[in-house]
Amino acid sequence: MFKIMIIEDEPAIREELALLLKNEGYQPIPISVFENIPTRVSEISPDLILLDLGLPGRDGLSLCAELRRNLETPIIFVTSHNSSWEELHALSLGGDDYITKPYHVPVLLARIKSVLRRSVPKSEALPCVNGLTLNPVKGCASANGQTIELTRNELQILACLMARAGEIVSRSDLTEALWNSQIYIDDNTLSVNMTRLRARLESIGLPDFIKTRRGMGYQL
Amino acid sequence: MKISEFISDRLRRLLFQAVFVMAAVSFLSFTGTGRGVLILLLSFWAFTLICVQTYDFLKCRSHLSALESIMDKLDEKYLFAECIPKPQSLYERRLFALVKQSGRSMIQAVSDAHASSRDYREYVESFVHETKAPLTAARLISRQTGPETGRKLTEELSCIEAHVERALFYARLDSPEKDFLIRQIPAAQIVHHSIERYQSLLMQSGFRIETDNLEQTLYTDAKWAEFIFGQLLQNAVRYRSASPVIRILAKQSGARTVITVSDNGIGIPAHELPRVFDRGFTGSNGRSQGGSTGMGLYLCRRLSACMEAEIRISSKEGGGTQVTLTFPACGPRPA
Repeated sequence: MFKIMIIEDEPAIREELALLLKNEGYQPIPISVFENIPTRVSEISPDLILLDLGLPGRDGLSLCAELRRNLETPIIFVTSHNSSWEELHALSLGGDDYITKPYHVPVLLARIKSVLRRSVPKSEALPCVNGLTLNPVKGCASANGQTIELTRNELQILACLMARAGEIVSRSDLTEALWNSQIYIDDNTLSVNMTRLRARLESIGLPDFIKTRRGMGYQL
Repeated sequence: MKISEFISDRLRRLLFQAVFVMAAVSFLSFTGTGRGVLILLLSFWAFTLICVQTYDFLKCRSHLSALESIMDKLDEKYLFAECIPKPQSLYERRLFALVKQSGRSMIQAVSDAHASSRDYREYVESFVHETKAPLTAARLISRQTGPETGRKLTEELSCIEAHVERALFYARLDSPEKDFLIRQIPAAQIVHHSIERYQSLLMQSGFRIETDNLEQTLYTDAKWAEFIFGQLLQNAVRYRSASPVIRILAKQSGARTVITVSDNGIGIPAHELPRVFDRGFTGSNGRSQGGSTGMGLYLCRRLSACMEAEIRISSKEGGGTQVTLTFPACGPRPA
């Protein structure tokens, strides 16, 4: 379980954020005393720090510079100041990402996920479900000794379904996952892609690999 | 100053002199002064008069043109009285003192107005930043309500955020140099960030977005450009048609980069098109949909101008709207 340290002075945001991250399967560590933060960070050794730049009595940027001196922990800045100067400054001090309040919760979660993915060494094993192996780097999938090349959209759909194998994935979740990967499709396009993907999976001997759960979504 | 203006200005004085000289001449000739002496005296008088007046004219003209050139060079014209050399004659000194007094009161008024608008702008900025914390908390809290209530709340919150964001950029327009930073930025980054920001709005409205050729780079301020694209996306959502599509494409035009954002929405009537960038203009679409502030495109135009980008719009009623942004070939030259 990833440990995420929340350094945020607004109690409401801190508590809600902790709850949200807990529900998303992270281990949140909210900080409400802003003294000796570097020591506490090295004691706890979180996997990620969410750092508010507007801490009382203390400049978040200088704190970041201090943390960066001894630590490699990824830091995401959270700020209510939406200016390019500050962003440049923050990133030059060693921040890994910069997000402005009020953030959209899915956007924040996506950023957290991508920063964690970057910092944690990739597992070598390729995702494999029900006999189908997906190779996201090569953009292809193989089963029964046969391999098909996938388009970007098909790859993302399959990756999203395989990451949640066994669960029902709703169409809107699927659309959202695609939008997060910068594929901005609508409902019709999703249907078209799904039909094409199923036909291609059938061609390598996997008919009915993706089941439709009427009114709910898709399931592997 | 022309000679005729100078003469007409002094006409009374000259006429008076002429009358006086005529009287003196008739008196002298009556008392028996010889003709030759009179002619000598008269020509001496005429010569002196012409010399003195010519000298006056030249001096006056050069003085005026010196003052005019000072005025031309001044950016803040109301500082004129502070910048001119002190006059010599008593009359001019008194005039100068009066002008200076009036100028001072003007300077005071202007600097008061500047200070109060700066205070106001700072207040708006801090208000906006203060608002963001509770908005963020509200967004997080709305996740815990039922999905339907959560979605509705999120929609309303987005609406507040959009208004607040516009207020911030409106306040920033006054002194853009303060928080604007031109850098070389990939078009893709700006476009994807602005889509990400309005993602839930766009997804819920059933949009499909096609992007093409976004590997071009732009010389711009990322936050400002994202704000501009955000306004265009919001407009596209607001004035959408059934099965809405947005196309965002970049292309190189000479050394400049042109980004076109087109939608297949309801379009803008031709007679309203020239005014859509005006402050507070809400067209017939805006009025019939409600909630239009007439500030979005106005801010787009002003912000683009600050970044030396050009914004153009074309539209056909019922046939969608197309906005082109032309970004400069390199950063604006330092002023």
